Amino acid sequence: MSTISLKVEFGGGLELLFDNQRSHKLTLPARVPLDNSTSSPPSSPPSPQNNEYEGETKPVDVAYLVHWLRHHLLKERAELFMEGDTVRPGILVLINDTDWELEGEGEYVIKNGDEVVFIST
Amino acid sequence: MSTSCGNPNAESDALMPRRRKFDRSKLCIKCKINQGNIVIRHAVYCKDCFLPMMYNKIKRTIEPTINPTPEGPRKKNLNPSGNLVIAFSGGLGSTVLLDVIYRGYFSSRRPRGETNTLSEGKDPKKERVWKEGKVCYVEVCGAFHGMRDRTDDVRRIVERYDDLEFVPLRIEDAFDESWWESVDLILSPCSRNGTPLSALCNYLSSLPAPTAIPSTLQTLTRLLLLHTALSTHSSHLALGTCLTSLSISLVSLVAQGGGFNLKEEVQEEWSPDSLSRSKGRSVRVVRPLKDIVMKECAMYAWWKGLEIVGQETWPGARQGISRITKDFIIGLEKDYPSTVSTIARTCAKLSPKDHAVGTCILCNRPAQPGVQEWKNRISIRSLSTDPPVSSEKASLAPYLCYACHTTLTSKSSK
Repeated sequence: MSTISLKVEFGGGLELLFDNQRSHKLTLPARVPLDNSTSSPPSSPPSPQNNEYEGETKPVDVAYLVHWLRHHLLKERAELFMEGDTVRPGILVLINDTDWELEGEGEYVIKNGDEVVFIST
Repeated sequence: MSTSCGNPNAESDALMPRRRKFDRSKLCIKCKINQGNIVIRHAVYCKDCFLPMMYNKIKRTIEPTINPTPEGPRKKNLNPSGNLVIAFSGGLGSTVLLDVIYRGYFSSRRPRGETNTLSEGKDPKKERVWKEGKVCYVEVCGAFHGMRDRTDDVRRIVERYDDLEFVPLRIEDAFDESWWESVDLILSPCSRNGTPLSALCNYLSSLPAPTAIPSTLQTLTRLLLLHTALSTHSSHLALGTCLTSLSISLVSLVAQGGGFNLKEEVQEEWSPDSLSRSKGRSVRVVRPLKDIVMKECAMYAWWKGLEIVGQETWPGARQGISRITKDFIIGLEKDYPSTVSTIARTCAKLSPKDHAVGTCILCNRPAQPGVQEWKNRISIRSLSTDPPVSSEKASLAPYLCYACHTTLTSKSSK
């Protein structure tokens, strides 16, 4: 499968940064750039048939999701969502109702139908 | 600059293995059957065990504070001397507190004095602990131009809890003589033009530094809550301060000169004056969530589907000591989750060297001796070599604690 469908939810006021919308259904490429770049590489745009990147890639993970949300869905105040390469301290992340610390944090490989929740404390 | 550790045996590109965020396995440490859903300070809990664990922790914190005198060797029934006021800010902690207290001490129990059946008798565990419960909210939007009034949002949340009365206040009530009369506090008459709101704004605009604004609003909020509790015959005022927030407020308090009142920041027995204290009129300020970290509150709120109204960020708050402290401690908690409990435990071991010499006229907390002498010794008040001439003007300074004195006089370096 070349794409992964997942559901993302925001709670604790974080939805205010994402157009006041609490729940989002997303489709992401199954393989993504290793450096979490969320824009198409200039030399090789993703093929419309299989939506895949060429070059060094990895299976889509939560780290990539965070960058993707930052660049494609976040409407304002990026510093309230991300700090450096990960979510800001104080934001709780649940993967299928489980603390992401139990699932490998950003390295968790997202599967089709997963639900990822970001809660601001 | 070399980044090498100098050890010739170490690989130059070696990365330190990431420390595990949980001990042992991913199984719940309580039931040892279910897969864990949450990690709290390296301990793994499943959802089924987490909720009872949280209720029990809160119960163990609040119940020893309910009876007027501490329990002796024999466990007594819970019998407070008055009603309960729950302070509600709209934030995560107070939302969780409201839900937990309502479920544990109101909705699951019958009103006091009522007996349903003869067989049920008067089992005290089935009876409400407090006869009446009120939820008090202080709206602060009057202090900041353009800030949204959230009283109606808060009212909507609180009205979901039957049998708890909603008591909305406004921060400018602190400058309203009619409000003080309504809580049975007689003030000396003073001539002032303008509304309570304009008086509040003038007061805040005259403060010397941005950090003084949140401190001042906190003090005013606390006083409004305490007097509301007293006037509603409440023996307890419950605040939704979780362990994380408590650690932040303790460090922030010390940074702003309030170290003398560290104990009161955790729990205090407040009376407006010595006469009230002698008559037993006092309010016990308790923090039932003080052993619960913010992450636990967030998970509870999420799993229970609680709506969080949220708290408005005060403009300029980012520059204040409280906000800087919060960012620091929350950042620390991410990698070192035991830090917040260490801060609270260490602060609990501290006690002031001197005894209090009365009560601060502004914050109503115990005041230490020698505030002005200390300030004179540590600061240059004048470049003149002549001795200072004592002013005939009446001054509040001798009646303030160190923290309030600093709040009202310490200028920003900018």
